[in-house]
Amino acid sequence: MLAAFSSAFGLLLPLAYSAQVLEPAAILALCVSAGIGTVFLLPSHFHPSWRKVGGAILLLSGLTFLFLVLRYTAEVKQTNLHTIYFWIFSAIAIFSAARVITHRQPVYSALYFVLTVFASAGLFILLGADFMAGALVIIYAGAILITYVFVIMLAVEARSPDHQSAAQMMADYDDYSRDPFIASAIGYALMGVLMFVIFDRSPTTLLPAHNPSPAAVRAQSGAPDVSGNTQELGIYLFSSQQVSLELAGLILTIAMVGAIVIARRRVLRLRPVAPVVVEMVVFPATPVDDNPHSIPVYGTDNPTQKAYPET
Amino acid sequence: MTTLALQHYLVVGAILFVIGMIGFMTRRNLIVMFLCTELMFQGVAINLIAFSKYHANFGGQAFVIFVLVIAAAEASLALGLVVLLFRQKNTLDADAWRELRG
Repeated sequence: MLAAFSSAFGLLLPLAYSAQVLEPAAILALCVSAGIGTVFLLPSHFHPSWRKVGGAILLLSGLTFLFLVLRYTAEVKQTNLHTIYFWIFSAIAIFSAARVITHRQPVYSALYFVLTVFASAGLFILLGADFMAGALVIIYAGAILITYVFVIMLAVEARSPDHQSAAQMMADYDDYSRDPFIASAIGYALMGVLMFVIFDRSPTTLLPAHNPSPAAVRAQSGAPDVSGNTQELGIYLFSSQQVSLELAGLILTIAMVGAIVIARRRVLRLRPVAPVVVEMVVFPATPVDDNPHSIPVYGTDNPTQKAYPET
Repeated sequence: MTTLALQHYLVVGAILFVIGMIGFMTRRNLIVMFLCTELMFQGVAINLIAFSKYHANFGGQAFVIFVLVIAAAEASLALGLVVLLFRQKNTLDADAWRELRG
């Protein structure tokens, strides 16, 4: 199935008009249209149908950009499964990143961010960074995102039902974004500049010939042969990055202590204390009699009830 | 071996970074703002790994490890602060702290 898709993909590529460099005007137009789409897609005062229009504009400009990049890639002339995986992973990553910033509910934003993390872990594997892909999934999707989801649930749960204004603000600040127009203008201006710089030259293939791989270098120098990127990364880390590694551990420890200090104890002091209502007991809580061994009742106004036992 | 160019990965990283930046500027929920910071970290990490592959040097991957460390430290501290701020004003709105602007 994928092989058939790959061959179809390879047939499609030469059909596209081959060009060395993306035209700056095309990049500019794409950035403008994507910016307009983003303004409409962000949560705002517009009618919900405008969000669909914005999503359509953004999708259209994304597809146009994909076509331009394919045309730019066309001179590589070679397509394999690796390439297909790259397009799939990057499409998932970019789509879910767009959903992270446009979804109204924070929990869904966090879940879409998990999807972005998985997709970029796939990209890392394509780039030969196996250990980093695993570490990314474990640390980001396993630890950091769980913390985010915990905090989201905690922040919603701690809201008491009688705070109506807080509930309205909660609905409000997720539904209306702040200055979507200015932010999109600045963001897409930056994206345009980055695209100009990136596409300023013809495609440079990864792993150029003048850069031998570390394994080849070590084989020449007679060092013990290791296999796998992970082992090479470990050797690199513990041979030339020792101090940085220790510092990283120290930073994690300091951050843990700092987080405990920040989030501890002040919780109870800052919560508003409800006024304590003292009710006077009008009726005696215990039967009134003259038995000195009955249960003593303190603080009643009933004169027939004994305040203290006579014993 | 891959037939992709370095530019493809750089473009994906740049797009992720810009999306995270737009989200950081527009969203008003403190938690989503920090999620967008993590998005920007993702874009930078993809760039670093791509350059690590391009130069056949493990410095890029080591740098991503340190980026992950900083991201984890930042997330723990930032979420602690978010919980603290939420308990003060009972809202996650960043605009509720407008007076901090000075």
